[in-house]
Amino acid sequence: MKPKLILGILAIVLFTSLLMYNFGNSISTYVNFEQAENRATSHVVGTWDDSRDYGFSRDTMQFSFYMKDEDGNVRRVVYPRPKPNNFEQATQLVVVGEMRNSVFHANEMLMKCPSKYNDGSELLNAQES
Amino acid sequence: MIATAGHLLLSGAFLTSLIVMGLYAASALKDNLSVERIANRMWYLKGVLLLLSSAALVYIIMTHQFQYYYVWNYTSLDLETKYLFSAFYGGQEGSFMLWILISCLVGVGLIKWTRKPYKAPVMFVMALTQFFLLSMIVGWDLSFAKIGASPFRTIAQEMPNAPFIQANPDFVPVDGTGLNDLLKSPWMMIHPPIIFVGFSMMTVPFAFAIASLWTKTYHEWIRPALPWTLAANLSLLTAIFLGGYWAYETLSFGGYWAWDPVENASLVPWLIGTAGIHAMIVQRKSSRAHKASLFLSIMAYVAIVYQTFLTRSGVLADQSVHSFVDLGLYGQLLMYILVMTFMGLGFYLYRYRDLPSPQKESKFLSREFMTFTGSMLLLILGIIIIVGTSSPIIGRFFVENPTPPEIQFYNDWSMPIAIIMAFATVVGQYLFWQKHTWESLAGVMITPLLLTSTATVVSIVLGEVSNIYYMIYIFAGWFTVIGNSTMLISLIRKNPKLIGGTLTHIGFGVLLLGIIASSAYTGPLLDQRTASYNARVAAGEVYDEEGFPVTQPREMFSLDLNRPTLVNNEYMVTYEGYELSDSPRPGQQTYRLRFESIDNGRVFYMYPEVYPMLTTSSRTNIEWSVDPHVQTGWMSDYYLYVAGSKYVEQKNEELEEQNRNQDPLVSLQEEADERQTIEIGQGESIEAGPFSFTFMNFTPALEEELPDSTQIGIRSLVRITHTPSGNAFDVEPLFAVYTEDEVSYTYSPPLEIERWGMTVSFTRIFPESDTIELTVDGLDMEFEEDWVLIVAEEKPFVSVVWLGTFLLMGGFTISIFRHWAREKNTEEKE
Repeated sequence: MKPKLILGILAIVLFTSLLMYNFGNSISTYVNFEQAENRATSHVVGTWDDSRDYGFSRDTMQFSFYMKDEDGNVRRVVYPRPKPNNFEQATQLVVVGEMRNSVFHANEMLMKCPSKYNDGSELLNAQES
Repeated sequence: MIATAGHLLLSGAFLTSLIVMGLYAASALKDNLSVERIANRMWYLKGVLLLLSSAALVYIIMTHQFQYYYVWNYTSLDLETKYLFSAFYGGQEGSFMLWILISCLVGVGLIKWTRKPYKAPVMFVMALTQFFLLSMIVGWDLSFAKIGASPFRTIAQEMPNAPFIQANPDFVPVDGTGLNDLLKSPWMMIHPPIIFVGFSMMTVPFAFAIASLWTKTYHEWIRPALPWTLAANLSLLTAIFLGGYWAYETLSFGGYWAWDPVENASLVPWLIGTAGIHAMIVQRKSSRAHKASLFLSIMAYVAIVYQTFLTRSGVLADQSVHSFVDLGLYGQLLMYILVMTFMGLGFYLYRYRDLPSPQKESKFLSREFMTFTGSMLLLILGIIIIVGTSSPIIGRFFVENPTPPEIQFYNDWSMPIAIIMAFATVVGQYLFWQKHTWESLAGVMITPLLLTSTATVVSIVLGEVSNIYYMIYIFAGWFTVIGNSTMLISLIRKNPKLIGGTLTHIGFGVLLLGIIASSAYTGPLLDQRTASYNARVAAGEVYDEEGFPVTQPREMFSLDLNRPTLVNNEYMVTYEGYELSDSPRPGQQTYRLRFESIDNGRVFYMYPEVYPMLTTSSRTNIEWSVDPHVQTGWMSDYYLYVAGSKYVEQKNEELEEQNRNQDPLVSLQEEADERQTIEIGQGESIEAGPFSFTFMNFTPALEEELPDSTQIGIRSLVRITHTPSGNAFDVEPLFAVYTEDEVSYTYSPPLEIERWGMTVSFTRIFPESDTIELTVDGLDMEFEEDWVLIVAEEKPFVSVVWLGTFLLMGGFTISIFRHWAREKNTEEKE
């Protein structure tokens, strides 16, 4: 019984540490655009800056827009796919990619599902119409 | 009025659940049958209160009472009745309501079918969960704390500080904000209820485990709990399947699985529940593994509560594409999970020394050991997924503000575990029905192993697999399918009722094969130009305007109207136009794309849709949404959506124009570029604004009209029709190429059409396609050929994934009937 128990505990410890090591390596931290400048891959959280031009260009086959990160830095983001569904509605965006020359090249883009998210401002619009 | 009643009924149900809980506890402690009978009646009463309250919610939704926040937030006047009904559980509050209703119904089933000594303690646990769930939506505003968010609260209660509420407290919006268009899908109507059936039923093994610990009867609970657990698993599996299919077909997630937190939230309880089923089977067959089956039954439910906490408390807000908004339930949800975990695990540890342990260890080659191994592997897989999904919490030990793990993390861990599981299922199944020694086992395995090797080699050759790891995985998959099928055949001969377990294991093997085949061979469909561009990107030869190398390949291509384009050297794809329609969604365009196989000439059509999002589009801004089309086949699925089109771009430009005109600051309209070029093939017509250009044919040019040393000189007969008036004008513009001092020049004298203030020149010729280019000046309507931007993927063997899922479902269903029948039999005998 004894050696079996020790073996079992060893296996569990080994498994857990391997899992945690691997997990630790597979996550990274959210950064802002300034910090992203010196990193290989970054996750940046922010909101769409709708006061500036955005859209898909058929020449470059990219979707581009301006995004304001949580610290207020605004940068142009390019995304090599079409505009995702729900883009305009998203209350928050997460872009994953690389910063080059003040332009963020996103490989992935996540949008916070907006259907469950409303605040008073939208109600004001509803009132007007 | 109705809403107030609904709110009061809900409060009544909340109080009743508290009383019922106390009564069942008293009945269990004192073993008092009459108290139990009262409690049962109170449970039915609670059911009636809940039903009436839900009816009230449905009523205010159906009658569009927009002064209520929930109604305003999730519905609108134009919503179809069926979606009005499903809006009942479209939001966080209503979905809790549905969960409570179904769990109450499960309680009714338990009252009816549970025998002594378990009924009272089982129902105590059920009442406790009802109490917690109801507390999420009871919406009591005590002076010191708020309990839950009521679906019946008004806008004024939700936003007391909003200026329009302060100006007019009785304000009622004219219309609601509506349901998200993506949720207007039949899947939305069936997917959530099935999930909550699964959640509610998964409470039952937990309740039985607690009851077993309570009454110190550790053997008997398995029999009544097993069918419930199997049914819970079937429901969760069905829900996972429906969710995956919905994501794939309608939500344009691009696949059936993405390791999204909400997807994981339904997978983990399923895995742990399945682990529990394995442990319960060991216990039922051989009076072992009591500890494991109790522990796993508790953990399966804790996993449900934990994942509910993750997805509903706002913890995952940044990570999930479809997490719920934080309703301020964080504290309550935390309390819920803590109470459930401490009650379950605390009770378990308290009784731990009392739990029966086996006299001697089971042998390695025994059904107990193998089944138990399967159970542990499922648990480990569940734990790994929990770790990954919990990254916003666990990740804090590593970094500040952690991101979700890369998908690779899940794949790296689940693949080796799946391989071990695959082998264990076969050995386990052989041992389950017959005792074996190493020698006898090797003997019966020879045929399946030979068949597996053949199938694996064929797959590797056909699939051009070069990765040794994938080869092992494919071998494991085939071994599971073939080994279990051999077992299935011999079982069918013996007694077909016994095949449930074997069938699920075959399903598991098919699923493994389907997953690898569909994910490894999925690739974009591209035209040749894009494909060669991507090849240059891969070779590092493409640079962007700032001089950086481009690393991202393009996964889309554009198609011009009626110009067949070769795609993936497989299909001639032709865009044949679109249809506008107002049904079921206003402003919806259905595009028509013709696919013709160049190998066998087989033709099929794809009809992707683009529509304006009604709920969020306004007069100044249309938000377009896409609905992909999936062409399902036995071998391959084609997945395609229109990412952009001339129609959408024109609509957007028109809107921009309007907005600019309304904006007084920008009074000067930009000068439209009036020169345009048009390409027309012989015999073709092209519309440009109010004009139609038809290229009839080429006509010879007279020698004297041409410059000296002309190499080519030709005219084209073009008919220009003013569509509104029907007036036509034939022109014969000239195109010539001549040399002067060994340099070639083109000569295209413009022809003037005074009536329309337009000049036409013949500026280029494409002899290979009999196409000409005309340059037209003075045509103020923008001309552009109709085009679409296509994103398409070929996804092979998705059908195999579904087949695996169906086999799993079938196996579970057969097992439910078998175990349920046995449970009924024992009941009748007593």
